[in-house]
Amino acid sequence: MEGVPLYAYILLSALMFAIGMAGVIIKRNPIIIFMCIELMLNAANLSFLAFAKYHTAPLATTALETWNVHMTGQMAVVFVMAVAAAEVAVGLGIIMAIFRMRHGVDIDEMSSMRG
Amino acid sequence: MEFITTSHAEHAPDPVFHWAWLILLAPIAGFLFQAALGKRIELALGRGAGRKLLGFAAVLPVLAGFVVSVLLAVRLAGMDEHSRLVITSWFPWIDLQTLLVPFELRIDPLSLTMCLIVTGVGSLIHIYATGYMADDRDYPRFFTYFNLFIAFMLMLVMGNNFPLVFIGWEGVGLCSYLLIGYWYQDIENAKAANKAFIVNRIGDWGFALGIFLLYWVYASNQDLLPLGERRYLSFDVILPLAEQVLAGYGPLVVSAIPLLLFVGAVGKSAQWPLYLWLPDAMAGPTPVSALIHAATMVTAGVYLVARTHVFFELSTLSMAVVAGIGAFTALFAATVAFGQTDIKKVLAYSTVSQLGYMFLACGVGAFGAGMFHVTTHAFFKALLFLGSGAVIVAMAHNQDLRNYGNLRKYIPITYWTMLIAWLAIAGIPPFAGFWSKDEILAGAFFSNLIQTPQILWLIGWVTAFLTAGYMTRMMMLTFYGNEERWRTAEAHAHADHSHEHPHADHGAHDEHDTAYFLSEDEARALEDEEHEHHHDLTPEHEPREVVPSMWLPLAALAVLSLVGGAALSGLNPFAHLLGRHLPHLFEAWNHPSVGLSVLDEASAFRESAAIEWALIGASIGAAVLGIGLFARRYIKGLPKSEAEPQGLQRLAGEQWLYDKTMVRLFVDTGGKFANAFYRIFDSGIIDGIFVNGSAKLVGAVGLLLRRSQTGSVRFYALIIAIGVAVALSYVIYITTR
Repeated sequence: MEGVPLYAYILLSALMFAIGMAGVIIKRNPIIIFMCIELMLNAANLSFLAFAKYHTAPLATTALETWNVHMTGQMAVVFVMAVAAAEVAVGLGIIMAIFRMRHGVDIDEMSSMRG
Repeated sequence: MEFITTSHAEHAPDPVFHWAWLILLAPIAGFLFQAALGKRIELALGRGAGRKLLGFAAVLPVLAGFVVSVLLAVRLAGMDEHSRLVITSWFPWIDLQTLLVPFELRIDPLSLTMCLIVTGVGSLIHIYATGYMADDRDYPRFFTYFNLFIAFMLMLVMGNNFPLVFIGWEGVGLCSYLLIGYWYQDIENAKAANKAFIVNRIGDWGFALGIFLLYWVYASNQDLLPLGERRYLSFDVILPLAEQVLAGYGPLVVSAIPLLLFVGAVGKSAQWPLYLWLPDAMAGPTPVSALIHAATMVTAGVYLVARTHVFFELSTLSMAVVAGIGAFTALFAATVAFGQTDIKKVLAYSTVSQLGYMFLACGVGAFGAGMFHVTTHAFFKALLFLGSGAVIVAMAHNQDLRNYGNLRKYIPITYWTMLIAWLAIAGIPPFAGFWSKDEILAGAFFSNLIQTPQILWLIGWVTAFLTAGYMTRMMMLTFYGNEERWRTAEAHAHADHSHEHPHADHGAHDEHDTAYFLSEDEARALEDEEHEHHHDLTPEHEPREVVPSMWLPLAALAVLSLVGGAALSGLNPFAHLLGRHLPHLFEAWNHPSVGLSVLDEASAFRESAAIEWALIGASIGAAVLGIGLFARRYIKGLPKSEAEPQGLQRLAGEQWLYDKTMVRLFVDTGGKFANAFYRIFDSGIIDGIFVNGSAKLVGAVGLLLRRSQTGSVRFYALIIAIGVAVALSYVIYITTR
């Protein structure tokens, strides 16, 4: 295989995931946290795609079977995107509701669950 | 339904013995009838006609049982005396590999004697009760219990194995409890019922242990039993082999078996130290006292000892204990009777004392004489109780002897019948009590089972004197004297009111007591009834003779008390002293079951007829002396000094403080112990450590853990990230190792 090696993909994916996680932990604005979550999801997607591309199918005997093995990783990406979209829709709805109620969405102020 | 009947006779026994089941099943049917339909019939036919029908239905099964018993007795008497034992078996009740307990009845002279007493005296008392209870609120309930009692009592005396006897034993205890507490609206009656039940637990504990011990002994000696025999608790298996089986055991086991059985007998037959419940049991209606607490149930202990007499005969110690307890109880209770002012209490202590007499007879080996006294006692004591019931009815349910006097003028039938019973219990010939009492005293005097049995004879003799004494006191205070004390009775009537009948009680505390048990409607009905019936002794009160359904049984029992003893004993001992050979019917009939009385065995070493004449003279002398001395004191009426019992008499009346001591020792101390146990174990350990302790532990852990719930979302996210990192590191670590 020529071109970009697998470790580069993994490295980028790990970096994106770390940035996303750091954002989720550090940031207080839920919109930004959402964006960071998207970043983490996309880091995972990138890994899926990379592995799908580099995956060999030693047991496959026909071209169709080889193709199917490659496609499983790519299908996972489609699923993740769909779930992410749904999640954002729901999350944004909740944030809107909180904003209407409290006139602010600072995540640190939402601490009514403190024990 | 198929019955298998076996007998010692060579040919198969007469199928007529299947009828024995009828004796048992008839009162059960009566019980079911009264319980299921009693109230309905009363409602449908109205109180008058309904109660007539119910009364008839209650008496009928008992009477039927009596007729069948007579039939069987005649048939059995016609058989050879060594084959007078028929067992009729219905179905296996407990069938284990190591034990078979069939539902089987034993028909032999002893069980039929008891059957005749239970059904004969029982049906007379049933007839009496139809009159006595006629105005009661719960007529069907009374006869439900009464028929059930007869059924259990018959199971007790006819059962051929210990489990059946034990069912009967517990069943009669239950019925006794239900009937003592029959007027449960009064808390005192409920307490008396509880006392009877609880004190009897001690006896039943001993009885049950005795049965277990017997099972253990017989089940571990299978080789001595017939091949394949698994009925380790059946009388026809164990009784003939007692000596053989127990030969392999030391004195501990040999004495423990009869003594444990005797503990049961002491409880049921109200002997010292467990007699405490019987005087309180007088709280029940008077027919109950007559049937259960005088004539039948309390003699179950004597029956048990007579039935298992082979075990007692194997242990001299147990015989001595039986005789000693019997003699002591007889004397003790006779002294207590002098201090009683309640007519039924006098009779209750008299019963305890006479039961002591029966055990004295058993203890000296005269089991036949003991059973004979059971029989004659059933006649005259039932009569005394029923008579006292008639007096109580005539005196508006006042039970205090001090409020009676000169009643012979007003209730002559009751007076004449009770007069016969009085002479019978005092031991004046030819009345019934003399014959059996004399036999017991002679048995005690000539006993060869213990050393110096003459001491027991002396105690028996003193008791006979005291018996004549307290009965004379009761009779004189009730029927004699010119003073009609009920006309001025107001003072006593309230100071010492009886608990026998709720109508006799009134006042604020009653309303309070009844409130616990009754719904509003019931309470109102009771109140109405009380207004309707309530009457008290007043100067205008005129005692009236009781209805025929009540005095006819009195008359029948009076005839039995008059001639029963003489007829059954064949006028022995006079007959044989005078050289006439009249058969002693009772002994000739019963000895295959209980062995020959000491009277006959001992006759070999009776040197002279002079001693026997002296004994007879002494026993008549005791009766005459007792009657004479106390008649002189009481014939004019109540001595001034006895308006309130003083000094020794008062102490005697309080059972020489025995009851109080027992209450203090066991009830109060037991209560304190239970209370301490409750505080330490229940409140301390269960509640404190387990219940509240675990809750507190969870609470403390929660307090600790709540610190982690900061409410900061970002903090949670960090913790999740760290957690995932740690988990992943671990996975990587173990997969790459």
